[in-house]
Amino acid sequence: MRPLGELDDPRRRILIQALAAGFFSSAGNAAAQLFGKAPGRLPAGQSIFRVTGRVTVNTQLATLRTRIVPGDTVETAPNAEVVFAVAEEAFLLRGASRMVIEKPPSGLTTALRLVTGKVLSVFGRGRPTRIVTATSTIGIRGTGAYAETDPEQTYFCTCYGVADIVANNDPSSRETVSASHHDRPLYILAKGKAGGSIRNAPFINHTDQELALIEALVGRTPPFVFPLDTYNAPRRDYP
Amino acid sequence: MRRGETIPSGARRTVTGPVKPAASWRELGSVAAGLALLAGASAQARAAGYSEFIDSLQFRGFRAEASYTTDDNVTRAPAGDALRDRILGVRVSAGGVIPISPRTRVSIQGFAGTQRFSTYTGLSNNFIGTQADFFFRASGEFAAPTYGAFVRTAKEEYESTLRDGYRHAFGVTVLKPATDKVQLSGGVTYNITDGKSTVFDAKNVSLRGNADWSLGRWDTVYMGVEYRRGDSISTTGPTLSAVPSPNITDDAFSDSLRTAYRLKASTFVATLGYNHAFSGGHSLDVSWRRVQSKAQDSPPGSIDLSYAVNQFSLAYLARF
Repeated sequence: MRPLGELDDPRRRILIQALAAGFFSSAGNAAAQLFGKAPGRLPAGQSIFRVTGRVTVNTQLATLRTRIVPGDTVETAPNAEVVFAVAEEAFLLRGASRMVIEKPPSGLTTALRLVTGKVLSVFGRGRPTRIVTATSTIGIRGTGAYAETDPEQTYFCTCYGVADIVANNDPSSRETVSASHHDRPLYILAKGKAGGSIRNAPFINHTDQELALIEALVGRTPPFVFPLDTYNAPRRDYP
Repeated sequence: MRRGETIPSGARRTVTGPVKPAASWRELGSVAAGLALLAGASAQARAAGYSEFIDSLQFRGFRAEASYTTDDNVTRAPAGDALRDRILGVRVSAGGVIPISPRTRVSIQGFAGTQRFSTYTGLSNNFIGTQADFFFRASGEFAAPTYGAFVRTAKEEYESTLRDGYRHAFGVTVLKPATDKVQLSGGVTYNITDGKSTVFDAKNVSLRGNADWSLGRWDTVYMGVEYRRGDSISTTGPTLSAVPSPNITDDAFSDSLRTAYRLKASTFVATLGYNHAFSGGHSLDVSWRRVQSKAQDSPPGSIDLSYAVNQFSLAYLARF
């Protein structure tokens, strides 16, 4: 007779050992990493929904457990990406990007500085926010927005909401965009003619499904129902 | 055999499906009724008036696709009669959407293209068609499903004669993001082909499901399965001792006497593909499709008419 507590079935023993070692939790995490997970409001204390490739927060390598708060600097390597939320704001930061979430000045709830790279952002409604890029300063209210910036120019799409856009080197170049669905993407140039540093741009490099994803992380739904674009792979019928 | 030539009567076996003088107007009428149903889907559209309804069309640009496909069984025949060929294809389309309400919209697309077979040129064809979809989505929530109903009709002109005609489809679809990396879709489609010969008149129902798995921002693997039940058309060579009816000498093949026949079959189609997108609306797509078809209700001891097909495709897609 075996002593109490000793398992006679080796399969059962392996199962219990695997449970004790957190195997299934790890397997679940691996499956989520591979196949993704349905987005929803992030639990309190969690900032990052998805991290791919090398991403740092204040120069420390980021994991799903890393917290991001105002004052932090988030940086991504080329081909990396991080999806995260800070308070009522959510972001998708693409590769080769550097973004500082500044402690907001008086009267603003959020401010961020996109030093370089590409970011898709959504902000809480009625919360005045400021985005500073290499070539522009943008004041926004209740907006979804996508920005790409480098020293020469900034691409800025007001996906929905209102944005007041000013060229950093040419304050006479300013536009207010009120958009419901990517109505007026713009380029803001570093060296444009006086009053002509803001130009119309095409809709590029971001999708409505990505907006819906990051809105879900802060418990919101984008104002549009149908995505503007869908996957473009061929779906030929068998004749 | 080229278009305009006559079918060699001496080569013909049992012709139980005569060549028809014109397309089936009854089926064309049902397609028109489907289109009308979609066009009149909204009371708002009716109230606004037809021209205003069309004025609200939001153009969504052009799409083009060039493809190269190898097919190891273009005759859709049992193994002994399977013929291999290579196919170059080009397809262009343009379309737009008409918002009906915040939760509903109609999508209209026109398309045209060609398929050029390398060896069995009688199968080469040009086609032109249109598709209308009606979509409903309850909200913009990430995982909210999109339901659709569609009708599609196309005119096909082959390098041979008997296959010339129309191809129609009606169906319902659903599309649902499951996770941030997996998107599921499914649908039921009623397919109708209406050829010059009644042998090429076929009706079948297909049930299909598809999963798109995003490996990253630019790379997607997709997997699809389809079960199709109903009419299936095959072409056999002289090896088949008793050809099912209806049948007719197939004018698409000039290498030897071949007979096309129609039968009821259950067909499984599986597709595995990989799509790599480039910025600027271009993508490269490779896919493998496996088809396994089995005749329905075959009496015991009858000839095995089941067949298998493998298709490998490489396609370049552009949106502009």
